Amino acid sequence: MPPRHRTKERPVAAQSVTRRSASGTAGAPTFPRPGTRLGLSLEWGGRLVAYVRQTLAVRSRLVDQQPSRRGVLAAAVGAVALYPMSGCGLFGDDEEKERPPAPDPLAPLLAEARALVSQHEAAIGAFPVLAERLTPVAQAHREHVAALAKVIKTADPSPSASASPTPPAGDAKSTLAALRTAEQKCQKTAAQACQAGPPERAALLGSIAAACATHLEVVR
Amino acid sequence: MSPEALATALDAEHAAIYAYGPIGVRLDTASAADARQAEAAHRSRRDALVLRLTALGSTPPPAAPSYTLPYPLTDRAAALRLATEIEERTAAVWRSALPETEDADRSSALAALTDCAVRATRWRRRAGVSPATVPFPGRVT
Repeated sequence: MPPRHRTKERPVAAQSVTRRSASGTAGAPTFPRPGTRLGLSLEWGGRLVAYVRQTLAVRSRLVDQQPSRRGVLAAAVGAVALYPMSGCGLFGDDEEKERPPAPDPLAPLLAEARALVSQHEAAIGAFPVLAERLTPVAQAHREHVAALAKVIKTADPSPSASASPTPPAGDAKSTLAALRTAEQKCQKTAAQACQAGPPERAALLGSIAAACATHLEVVR
Repeated sequence: MSPEALATALDAEHAAIYAYGPIGVRLDTASAADARQAEAAHRSRRDALVLRLTALGSTPPPAAPSYTLPYPLTDRAAALRLATEIEERTAAVWRSALPETEDADRSSALAALTDCAVRATRWRRRAGVSPATVPFPGRVT
């Protein structure tokens, strides 16, 4: 081989050797530094393997069992895999991002309004004679749902949620009675929310409470 | 707490009380009884507002000597229509008082809005208006 090739190859080989020896002979640094984390973690993983093996050996002596090599390996691999991640703050960030936001105080009212839409639709489906009376009421609750969803900045779920409402049990009279009870409950919830809520929500919530009260005039 | 919002509500109550006079004349017996009840309710709100505004150190606005009706009340239909509009208007005023008030004042405003909305619905039903309800009572569209 011409010397040119040799001289070209040698630094590469020398460099790789130097690199390995640098991480190997660097002693035992106590703090992980940027760029050396993986190397260190391998080193720490090795220590962990030794520790686990030792512990298991002690335990096996105590309980007279053979240590499972597979278990030891799994523990070591897991520790090695987790170590670099725990150091870079990934878990902390994720916890903050994944923490769900506190539910809006209007969430219960929104749920009640949605339930009322379904309940009225079910009643209309079961008793077509009530359609004329209940259709505008169901529509009003749909508009309440949309307005509330806008205020609390939540997605207005598709109407498919109420596409197949459960048919009401009983006759038209008991269905109307159940609807009246639900309207009264919704009025109370909206009134309480109006009373406790900030000024910017008071008008909307007051209108919803008043609307439920007017529904009692026609749902009969 | 805003005395202006309550003063505006008082102006609307004065007008409503006035309007129910000519309205009642044109109504059938059953509807006229409702009109008398409605007028009494508006007087009650008016009295409460006068007391509240005085307590707040504000001068309650007096009623105007007379009010101009938006159209001549020639028959029952016109009377029912105006009764509905009066309740819608007072509902709107009370609704706009909600953000300006808190605690007991907001509670009163909400009760007034609700009462006006219910009376408007009753008048629409008597007039045969369908639907008799609106999605957001008091909201001016």
